[in-house]
Amino acid sequence: MGARIESVATSRSHGGPLARGALHLSDVAARKCLDRGGRRASDIDLLVNAGLYKDRNMAEPALASIIQEDIGANPGHPPRIDRHGTFSFDVINGGCGVLSAAHLVDAFVGTGAAHLGLIVAGDADPSPSTSRGFAFPPVGGAILLGNPDPDEGFARFAFRTFPQHADLFEVRLHWEARSRRNVLEVREHADFAKRCVECATEATIGFLGPIGLRIGEIDLVIASQYPPAFSADLARALGISPDRAPEARPELGCAHTAGPIAALESAIVSDRFARARNVLFVTVGAGVTTAIALYRGVPETGGVPR
Amino acid sequence: MLLEPGDIPDAAQHTARFDSVGVKLPERRLTTDALMGSTRHHTSIDLEHLTGIRERRVCSEGEDSYTLAVGAARDCLARSRHARSDLEMVVCASITRYTGGLSYRFEPPLSLSIKEAIGAPGAINLDISNACAGMLTGVFLLNHFVRHGVIRCGMVVSGEYISGLGTNAAHDIHGLYSRQLASLTLGDAGAAVIVERAADGKPGISLAGFTTLCEHSRLCLGLPAPHSPGARMFTKARTIHKVAIQDTPPLLGAVLGRAGLHLSDIDWLIPHQTSARAIKAGARELAERFGEGPKRVVMNVEEYGNTASTTHFVALHRYLTEGRFQRGDRIALLALASGLEVGVVLLVMDDLVESHGRTH
Repeated sequence: MGARIESVATSRSHGGPLARGALHLSDVAARKCLDRGGRRASDIDLLVNAGLYKDRNMAEPALASIIQEDIGANPGHPPRIDRHGTFSFDVINGGCGVLSAAHLVDAFVGTGAAHLGLIVAGDADPSPSTSRGFAFPPVGGAILLGNPDPDEGFARFAFRTFPQHADLFEVRLHWEARSRRNVLEVREHADFAKRCVECATEATIGFLGPIGLRIGEIDLVIASQYPPAFSADLARALGISPDRAPEARPELGCAHTAGPIAALESAIVSDRFARARNVLFVTVGAGVTTAIALYRGVPETGGVPR
Repeated sequence: MLLEPGDIPDAAQHTARFDSVGVKLPERRLTTDALMGSTRHHTSIDLEHLTGIRERRVCSEGEDSYTLAVGAARDCLARSRHARSDLEMVVCASITRYTGGLSYRFEPPLSLSIKEAIGAPGAINLDISNACAGMLTGVFLLNHFVRHGVIRCGMVVSGEYISGLGTNAAHDIHGLYSRQLASLTLGDAGAAVIVERAADGKPGISLAGFTTLCEHSRLCLGLPAPHSPGARMFTKARTIHKVAIQDTPPLLGAVLGRAGLHLSDIDWLIPHQTSARAIKAGARELAERFGEGPKRVVMNVEEYGNTASTTHFVALHRYLTEGRFQRGDRIALLALASGLEVGVVLLVMDDLVESHGRTH
């Protein structure tokens, strides 16, 4: 089995011009996650940030390195190879970023090359005065992935893209001559949400078939929280009860990259995650991109701290 | 340091190697004289003397991060024995993500458009961001996936349309101590490398390691420009240089020690290409600390400047094209980037010396 989820946490801010930025949200979620998992920041081998909309749209360095410094994960002086260090970088894959990051961390933790990985994802409007159509709430999330357990952990990942729908959701930062500003613009076509459900349904069926699982054997679906109502629409399309695809707490609703973490936290709080054997992560993003992962749980043991 | 292979024997079955390296350079050249002649203020900076950079390539109308990345990916595939359908992963590692001019794309990921453009729609794609260490971070990741049999073949690609930072810096800069000085060294380039499973018993990447010295994470920041197109970069260059001189040798020494090598066993050290002065100072420090330096240090800034995440592969491509490497040469690729990222990839030069010149 691959990496095991040790703990999960989220953070939030109120909206508006005085909302806290993505770095603050990420730092808070990361610290809370470490605390819940009973781990020290210095235990982290690999730190991957999947958050996309950063304070002031910073492009360099990777936000992960700043989060690493803020939480005190082996700030690193003097560096020696036999001392524990932390390697951090960012993954950019929109609504599927957390599962892309999990795929990478799982590969290192699952093979023993790393022992503990932290995935962080936080988004906030980088500059409310110069953004257009930015609808994601300021939410952060973090997941701690630890050493594999023979019975529990990630078992399989799959990624698909549907480029015929690539123009349905685009986010760009471009120079606007009229205002003489670089403007962040989110363009979402009215069909985006519908196509996301169609693509995710097709990808889910394509994922389960080859591994001999029926949708009825999936105890829990952890889905993206954007587009709005994606969880419920996906559950309906897959023919499962909506309570098997829990939504994030209302105040975290529509979270972008942290959405699946927020949904997972809901499932943990309600004990559904602890009771599940087969957990299916289904995320969607621009592209249209789908990312699916099967996580094998150990029912009733309730191993993930709240 | 996260190392592969590490100190615990792992279950890796395979060795990864570079199958091919591709590059796409814009035709247009911008000399350092011309760039410094465009500054708004009189600066008295002799940038060419300071950096060893005589010129850099810069994008023209119709060129951007995406076109450079696609051009490099196609060049890489043309030199590869692999068909495009063999690519199981495509990792885009650009800092700049400009498409359609200076329009910075957040979503969808650039790697999606690149894999579609080169005809590898079935590949898993993702973008990563790790400043100038981006491409070597991608190599580090693909090395792991190949070693453990998850994939047999993948591509790391980057297109850097980053010269606009120099244009913005030329507008702002007043003197030598400006935090935008490093922006004047930047040039545009695309680069790509295919990482594949080596035949059993054949050499390839022998060791790869990365760490982030995050107490220095805020020494270099790249942000959109407030009142002009593109971005600006603010660098505490002297502090970064000091940290690099201080912290890189012990890390490199430890990696070499794990591989059972001394620095003098390295035939070619390819550091991140920032400026001739910084590379020479780094080489001197290494020679002093180790008693003896690598046999040769690759310097490729004179005509290209600092091409951000692509520098190692622009240099590798050039030296392969010029036939400078010999089969069996030990190569050390050394990443040093904002973060502060320190990475080392050790490999043994193999069939690549012959296959690079062949197109398929």
